[in-house]
Amino acid sequence: MNAGIVKKQGFLWEIKHNKTLYFMCAPALVLLLMFSYLPMGGIYMAFTKFNVVDGIFGSPFVGFQNFVYFFSGNPYAWQVISNTLILNFWGIILGTVLPISLAIFMNEIKSGPFKKLSQGAMFFPYFLSWVVVGAILYGFLTSNFRIDRQTGETIVTGANGVMNRLLMGLGVNPIRWYAEPRFWKAIIIFLNVWKWSGYNSIIYMAAMSGFDGSLYEAATIDGASRFQQITRLTIPMLKPTVVVLVLMSIGRIFFGDTGMIWGVVGQNSTVSDAVNVIDTYVYSSMRTMGFGYSTAIGICQSIMGLIMIMLANFSAKKINDGEGLF
Amino acid sequence: MTAAKNSKSISASEGRIIQSRKDRWVTIFSYAFLGLFALICLYPLLLTVSVSFTSERLIASDGFRLIPKSFTLDTYVYIFSHSGSRILRSYGVTVFVTVVGTLGSMLVTCMIGYAISLKELRYRNVIAFVCNFTSIFSAGLVPWYVICVNWYGLSDNILALLLPAMFSVWNMFLMRTYFSAISPSLYDAAKIDGAGHMTTFFRIALPLSVTALLTVGLMYILSYWNNWWNALMFINDRDLYPLQYYLYSIVSNVNAISSGKIPAGAAASIKLPSETVKMAVTIITIGPIIFLYPFIQRYFVRGIMTGAVKE
Repeated sequence: MNAGIVKKQGFLWEIKHNKTLYFMCAPALVLLLMFSYLPMGGIYMAFTKFNVVDGIFGSPFVGFQNFVYFFSGNPYAWQVISNTLILNFWGIILGTVLPISLAIFMNEIKSGPFKKLSQGAMFFPYFLSWVVVGAILYGFLTSNFRIDRQTGETIVTGANGVMNRLLMGLGVNPIRWYAEPRFWKAIIIFLNVWKWSGYNSIIYMAAMSGFDGSLYEAATIDGASRFQQITRLTIPMLKPTVVVLVLMSIGRIFFGDTGMIWGVVGQNSTVSDAVNVIDTYVYSSMRTMGFGYSTAIGICQSIMGLIMIMLANFSAKKINDGEGLF
Repeated sequence: MTAAKNSKSISASEGRIIQSRKDRWVTIFSYAFLGLFALICLYPLLLTVSVSFTSERLIASDGFRLIPKSFTLDTYVYIFSHSGSRILRSYGVTVFVTVVGTLGSMLVTCMIGYAISLKELRYRNVIAFVCNFTSIFSAGLVPWYVICVNWYGLSDNILALLLPAMFSVWNMFLMRTYFSAISPSLYDAAKIDGAGHMTTFFRIALPLSVTALLTVGLMYILSYWNNWWNALMFINDRDLYPLQYYLYSIVSNVNAISSGKIPAGAAASIKLPSETVKMAVTIITIGPIIFLYPFIQRYFVRGIMTGAVKE
């Protein structure tokens, strides 16, 4: 090989030759460096007893002490891990079934004002922040009543939300929702599915719009009912899309949505034990247990996340003939 | 099973009628299911709107109702006479952050998306990997927070609401997908005419990707408008509260008090914003989104669908 060509195709030559294009990449790469890659150096904090005065690299080194503390004799550790897994498990199941149902039914009805209106309504929750969802939820769950000690009668003492008015209308005792932890896992799962289903159904609708129409024509000629067309054609053909989306969610099964939990539950410590996830625990222990400890938990989570996403990618390749997640 | 057996014993034409009857049930069920779900999505919003126009007294006696007995603007008048300047200030912060943030994000995202959509860029896959890796592994909240505060000085800084949310890898890949679909011959023609990459980008690539620009732009608008997390992390100065965080500070106080864990004396000293005020602030917070929603929804759906198909 001739030296001139080698030089011409070298790294510097490429940078110089395409300098405008690399310049166009620069702002995004700088942002990634600032907010994603440099913080990775901060992982070192997990091995220190961090204090602000000595900074990240000056604080005393304590080895794996922070990790050991998280996993041994800390009741919160298993609680937040199991909360995260339970919320995500039901989120994945319901968050897959409902959007697919919506997409299939959307396909079954004629286009017209009803279709437009219901589609518009379905996506609406996606546009709201969790804080707004939390505020709206308050109108459903707020409770102001007391039970008379002698007669056992319910006495309304102020505004009651839609749920309590419904219960009282049915002759059932109202509930102090914000003081009853047992309902909150279900409430959070419901809200999560409610907020995302419309948006996720778009992805299935997109997949369905790519299906071969002649298959359905042939099925109609052969006398297949609409129901059979759904179960024998649409659902099997959706399988690759479902596999990809479900595996992606499984890859993130150790991650909770702090915004969701904090936006909806706020600083209500009575119910938060029922819905605290790893992420919210990291946030609250950052204030109470120190930065080193909370970094250690975050790292365990990130590593588990990396393992899960690799496994998910591997499974996706197995199931979908070599098509991975990324 | 029984249907299949029955259809054997009857003539073909009757079979077809049974078939179409069953089809009709599928259609009816579809309408019912979608109608119900649409109602579940819209009802909370309608309730919030109507409560914000109801008087506090009526809410206390009747509870939350979709159709109030009487209609009043009192709550809004009250909010704007008592904390009008605070809300307007927060509105200003949110609008500023949304406008500046979205413009900046779009420029940053589209430029890198365009650059790595071109085959002539040799390290495009390396760059794509550098981007992708951040979505599968992150250092976590705490190192990010410490570096933002100690190194970049983002606490109580308006930049804390702008910079960390400025680049979304997901949106970048959506843009790249769109840019890759543009025929290279268009770029070649421009190159022959002496256009550089910047000209090609602004004059050819961007105008040909209007749907994608609208979709991604809307994603960024939403993420800036709805962002309160960064305010929770970095902002203590009330003058820099974005709207969502203002609402959060109202609602989370109320939640803590209704849990009953705060002693009665302390609860009495914290002034509770009344029910209608909360709902009215909610409406003020999502107001622009409600107004824009009918116009943008269509583009949004189309953009996501096209992006999803190509992937």
